[in-house]
Amino acid sequence: MRIFLLSVLLLSACSKGPNADLQYIKQARSIAAEWALVNEQAELGKLTPTYVESLHRWLRDDLQTAISSLSEPNSPYGDQMKALLAEPPDTAAFALRARAESLKQIEDGLESA
Amino acid sequence: MNPLELTLGIMTAVGGFVDISELVFAAKAGSKFGYALIWVFALATLGIIIFSEMSGRVAAVAKQPVFNLMRHRLGLKLGLLTLAASIVSNLITCAAEIGGVSLILNYLTGAPYVLMAIGMTAVFVTSIWVLPFQWIERVYGLLGLFMIVFAAALVAICPPWNQIGGGFVPQVPAGLTNKELLTFGYFTVAIISAVMFPYEVYFYSSGGIEEGWGPKDMLTNRLTSVLGMALGSLLAISILASSAQLFGPVNVDPEIPGSAALEAAIPFGKWGLILALLGMLFAVAGAAVETCMANAYSISQFFGWVWGRHKKPWEAPRFTITWIILFLLALAIVLTGVDVMMLVEFAVLFSILVLPLTYLPLLVLAGDKTYMREYANGPIAKVLGWLYFAIITGAAIAAVPLFVLTSGGNG
Amino acid sequence: MTPDGPIKLVSQLLDLPLLDSEGKYCGIVDDVELRGRPGQDVQLRALIVGPSAYKGRLPGWCMWLVKKVAGARETRVSMEDVRTISSVVHLKRPGPELGLNKSENAARRWLPNKGAL
Repeated sequence: MRIFLLSVLLLSACSKGPNADLQYIKQARSIAAEWALVNEQAELGKLTPTYVESLHRWLRDDLQTAISSLSEPNSPYGDQMKALLAEPPDTAAFALRARAESLKQIEDGLESA
Repeated sequence: MNPLELTLGIMTAVGGFVDISELVFAAKAGSKFGYALIWVFALATLGIIIFSEMSGRVAAVAKQPVFNLMRHRLGLKLGLLTLAASIVSNLITCAAEIGGVSLILNYLTGAPYVLMAIGMTAVFVTSIWVLPFQWIERVYGLLGLFMIVFAAALVAICPPWNQIGGGFVPQVPAGLTNKELLTFGYFTVAIISAVMFPYEVYFYSSGGIEEGWGPKDMLTNRLTSVLGMALGSLLAISILASSAQLFGPVNVDPEIPGSAALEAAIPFGKWGLILALLGMLFAVAGAAVETCMANAYSISQFFGWVWGRHKKPWEAPRFTITWIILFLLALAIVLTGVDVMMLVEFAVLFSILVLPLTYLPLLVLAGDKTYMREYANGPIAKVLGWLYFAIITGAAIAAVPLFVLTSGGNG
Repeated sequence: MTPDGPIKLVSQLLDLPLLDSEGKYCGIVDDVELRGRPGQDVQLRALIVGPSAYKGRLPGWCMWLVKKVAGARETRVSMEDVRTISSVVHLKRPGPELGLNKSENAARRWLPNKGAL
């Protein structure tokens, strides 16, 4: 019984924390970067409004799903992801890239740890 | 050999090569690893050429499609297991394609995803009911040629051609961490699976019988498999290379299929975007039709039913009811709301597990002089066939551990 | 190969598709019926077609599932109705005359016979 409980505790510890959330941080970083690229190209008149609106919707849906999947949503990276989601769809590309960059730093930090 | 028919056949194969899985994995592979996975696309393409040519040859000479032979060679138990596994694999793949088509229509028109899924399923059922086999293949395959815009877009962005050329050399990038190495391994397996999907061989061999191929069509078979698949593969490689050039440097790891269309929008603007979306739409729609029909072919052939779209739908009733039910099942999967990207991951995973069981009977049969006479596998086909069988078996063994360890390639 | 010559049951006959005299598929050789006694020559009497013939070739739980999905049909095709055996078994008569393809005919009632080019 003790061994069983220890195993359960160990497993649950493994599935929590920044390392478990790394894939969602990466996802959020990529979403921010994709969003920035879409807005940049839209600004240049290279995209149809329907496509832009559609991509905004799907990217934000994915971001919402990533935030919901975090094991530590109230962590600093969780707050950054929520702040990204709170941005309006037509946020300037440079601002979105800054958010992507800051998530990338967290991602790199966790990967090198 | 009719040159027009041959050209149409090759163009159909080119336009029909890329499906939602190749689209997704090519874009992700480019952004994550630059040009380093181009050789895997080339390797897998050679594999599908070899096995497609074999399956076409078996269909033309033995006048038997793959699944008839599968049951005879593997026996009932193992044959049923292979059938069950391939039904699941093709069903998930079909659902991924229907989901993909619905997404693309949403990008193009803004119409609701669910409505598009239901609408497109109705379009698929109607088109297969109304059109004879050759027209089903040609309509979707030829319209898929809009995908050529991706090749044009790659040329337009002036990529480093020497690096792209270098990507054809088998390699593992230097300096990867253990996790990145595992992810590279996962992408290798996933690309092999996506390019060598079992449904392609089932559909190709059954199509050969639908079109009444005989020994006189050997050259047609060879040219269609080699040129069609090779040129089609270049479209997939164009998507990868553009992604390496445009997405990788800005930390974009495409999270949704629609992002691939940006590769044509960036150099060509709105018209590039629209052509790319149209190409994706028809290529993925064609794949939805192929996966569903491949499943219906497999089931009908396994149980010895009358099958084929060279007959009117009511002349092959069990076959017809089967493909209609399969479309409805795939639609039901899409309507559960499961993410299309997740469907793609599972499609690729299930397919690689089925691949060894799919290709082994084909390899044995294509080399059997009792059925194939002077058209049996020569020494080159034998060596390459067995080499690829070893590769896909290795990939099948590694697939599940790599999927788990890398969270489906997401690190 | 002719039906009255020597034949390897598993590698050359079992699980082969059946093609009737009109060139239509009408099932698979699911099992065979043999005639003979211990110490005597064994002769092939008939081919058995239908899900019921899977008994003995599949585990019990599998047979339960097969019966639920496909029923317990079985059709016996005498070797006298077999013309040749190659990569398929060619029959001398149309499938319906031999009691084959009954499910195909039943399924046909569900489909409209119009609209196809």
